[in-house]
Amino acid sequence: MGREVSESCIDALITEMVSSYCNRFYVNKPEVSARRIEAIGYQVGIQLSERYTVERPRFSEHLEAIKFICKEFWSELFKKQIDNLKTNHKGTFVLQDNRFQWLTHMSINASAETTDSSQQEPHSPNSTTLDANLLQATSMHLYFPCGIIRGALSNLGIPCAVSADASNLPACSFVIRIKA
Amino acid sequence: MQFFGGTSEVTLSPSVPSSIGTGPLGSNAYMLYLFNRNGVCLLYKEWHRPLKTLDSNQDQKLMFGLLFSLKSFTAKMDPTRVEKGNLGVPLLPGEGCSFHCFRTNTYKLSFMESPSGIKIILVTHPKSKDHRENLRYIYNLYVGNVVKNPLYVPGTAIKCELFNTSLDQYIQTSI
Repeated sequence: MGREVSESCIDALITEMVSSYCNRFYVNKPEVSARRIEAIGYQVGIQLSERYTVERPRFSEHLEAIKFICKEFWSELFKKQIDNLKTNHKGTFVLQDNRFQWLTHMSINASAETTDSSQQEPHSPNSTTLDANLLQATSMHLYFPCGIIRGALSNLGIPCAVSADASNLPACSFVIRIKA
Repeated sequence: MQFFGGTSEVTLSPSVPSSIGTGPLGSNAYMLYLFNRNGVCLLYKEWHRPLKTLDSNQDQKLMFGLLFSLKSFTAKMDPTRVEKGNLGVPLLPGEGCSFHCFRTNTYKLSFMESPSGIKIILVTHPKSKDHRENLRYIYNLYVGNVVKNPLYVPGTAIKCELFNTSLDQYIQTSI
């Protein structure tokens, strides 16, 4: 289907995009950078869903469209499908990916690490603050995929709101709320 | 010191099992250094080093200087080279002439330099086997966990948990 780009390039581009918006364009204004990054994702999602639904008929119901996102759309983007889909049948869907590709390489700097061979204790008192830092850092990187999902769904005729939760790296879950 | 050039080394002793070292974890590896292009020591790990002669800063500078000189020396003394090679510039693997390990009676130092200037040094038990594949694997660990990590600032010391745990695991099992 034409030209290809290496995956590392895309990973690096997305990393740099988040870093530029957070650290250079809108320093100290995380909400503005988050909105901008999500808007970029929205555009990308619209275009990608156009491309990937070229030969398909229209989706008869919301669940079909969500299943398309979980299977074909996700495999085109990340070469794997969503691992778990939950719904409350009232317009809320939770998509869980047990190994979200753009978060696999993320790991924080441990604050005071000795250079000896001693392993870190699993329940040190610092673990909660480290987790909080990690959460904050990863949340910025989740706006782009949320935007992609929102753009894809709205192009299929389903306006919605998407949020993400990555408390269990590298697993990540996306919550889609369809506006009734 | 014995220097080993491009040809494979010939050892008369029988092949040793993977873990005969005297380190506390029973592994062969004693120390590991990771330098970047400018000589900044990104990572220093030690598992078994009872004798410490210098403080860590001097030790790292000495190591970097030694390797730089050794690489230039081996390239200059290469008897098979026709034209003058590029000295001081990181080369592609297989190109030019670069040493990859030296051995004393108490330790063996293995070295690898990537085209981007990342130098990996592994000090192990003297009777251990060739470590070039191990160094390449460590370099891939570095690329995957450190370079691709959005939270890592290039040129600073590596403190990424993922990298450290996977590196420790690899060293304990495969070296």
